[in-house]
Amino acid sequence: MRYLLLFIVAFQSHAQISDFDHINFSKADQMALLCKNEGLDNMPELVYNLTSNLDTDIERFRAIYMWVCHNIANDYTLYLKNKRKRNKFKNDTIKLKAWNDRFKKEVFRKLLKQEKTICTGYAYIVQELSKLANLDCKIIHGYGRTSMTNIDELDPPNHSWNAIRLDEKWYLCDPTWASGIPDPETNIFRFEYNDGYFLSNPKLFIINHFPQDQKWTLLENEAHSFDEFLAAPILYGQAYTNLTEHNTPKQMHHSLHKNEKVKFEYQLQKNIDVDSVSFLIDNGYSNKKTSPNSISIEKQLLILEHQFDSNGFYDVHLYIGEDLISTYTFKVKG
Amino acid sequence: MKTQTIKKITQLLGMLMITALFSNPIYAQNKDVASATVAGQELTIKGKVTDEKGPLPGVNIVLKGAKVGAVTDENGEFTFPKLLSSGDILVFSSLGYEKQEIKIDAKTTFINLIMSDGLIEMMGAPSSSKPYKSKRSN
Repeated sequence: MRYLLLFIVAFQSHAQISDFDHINFSKADQMALLCKNEGLDNMPELVYNLTSNLDTDIERFRAIYMWVCHNIANDYTLYLKNKRKRNKFKNDTIKLKAWNDRFKKEVFRKLLKQEKTICTGYAYIVQELSKLANLDCKIIHGYGRTSMTNIDELDPPNHSWNAIRLDEKWYLCDPTWASGIPDPETNIFRFEYNDGYFLSNPKLFIINHFPQDQKWTLLENEAHSFDEFLAAPILYGQAYTNLTEHNTPKQMHHSLHKNEKVKFEYQLQKNIDVDSVSFLIDNGYSNKKTSPNSISIEKQLLILEHQFDSNGFYDVHLYIGEDLISTYTFKVKG
Repeated sequence: MKTQTIKKITQLLGMLMITALFSNPIYAQNKDVASATVAGQELTIKGKVTDEKGPLPGVNIVLKGAKVGAVTDENGEFTFPKLLSSGDILVFSSLGYEKQEIKIDAKTTFINLIMSDGLIEMMGAPSSSKPYKSKRSN
């Protein structure tokens, strides 16, 4: 018995998609596709149509999540309006609440009539549809960090995502970021499903999702501070389809000497070709695609080393193939 | 012949009008007496859904675990289309409100339900695939 316990403890991994490797999601995904033309005006019927032919909770949740990610558009104009008002009222809780109440009505009206929303809308719909399917799903509020956000410590939370309990274990997903990307120039939303945000590894998730309530990091034995989160590298959507973990560097900004070695370490989801790994280095004047000085892959652990041979300030973007993974900056001095 | 037909029609119409006159008050009484008919253990369930501001139209009501359901009308009222028995659970849901479950017992005839707004904060940061660019002084 004692050995069994030891075995369980030793092999306990973080709750993530690999727990369900034995499940084929094609049937659930098909159900989401079949309900493509259904709206939100009859949620119970939508949930019934999505889930009644599926046998497991994970498949039922998958069908709901896929439906939301493929049918709800992100409204960038609505997002900007809300951001403006929230900033304006951030020191006035009464006005902020009044705004939130008014805005909420507008969000729900748009959601119902046009199937457009902002991220709380996604997380909310996933939660409500899941509840109707008797699944235990929650909205998690917190901070989301992208290349376009500039979070100040005092800013109100700017993002929401979901936690779902399956087989007595909590998992994380982000339907907003999974659904697609709004073009900041044109404000037009483009559906572009990213499967990496479905039951993501919490260790990767924490790098750009910081929950208001720390227990929702799902990293029980690790303390994560908000400062660490703000100092972390920028991760992009494709990081979630290529990596299970981003080990080092832990920081975005670095200051180092010429020829000093920097080490990068990542846990990959699948084996990749060494030649597909590259850096795009921006020195402020031009962009140059280059290979890190050394690349090694062993047991899907990708290790890179690099040195900068001239002074300067560099934005370094990591690519795997065409996929943009992460960004770091380096200030190199003699 | 023709006048006889017209006479008959007039008589019939007259009868109808008189019937209508008498049946109206009866209908009104009926409505007051009961909104639920008990047939064995089967119950017809009616109800009204409101929020703090008044009647709530468009609320979905389903029998838990089944596909049968109803939607509240503009007065927030509904009549469940299927006879229910005690122990059945009705699930009330509407976008922006907390989902509620009501268990039917043998005495349930009319459900008066007040739904409350979901306590949620609205915010949203969209994803971005734009590479980060440092702000430089030069």
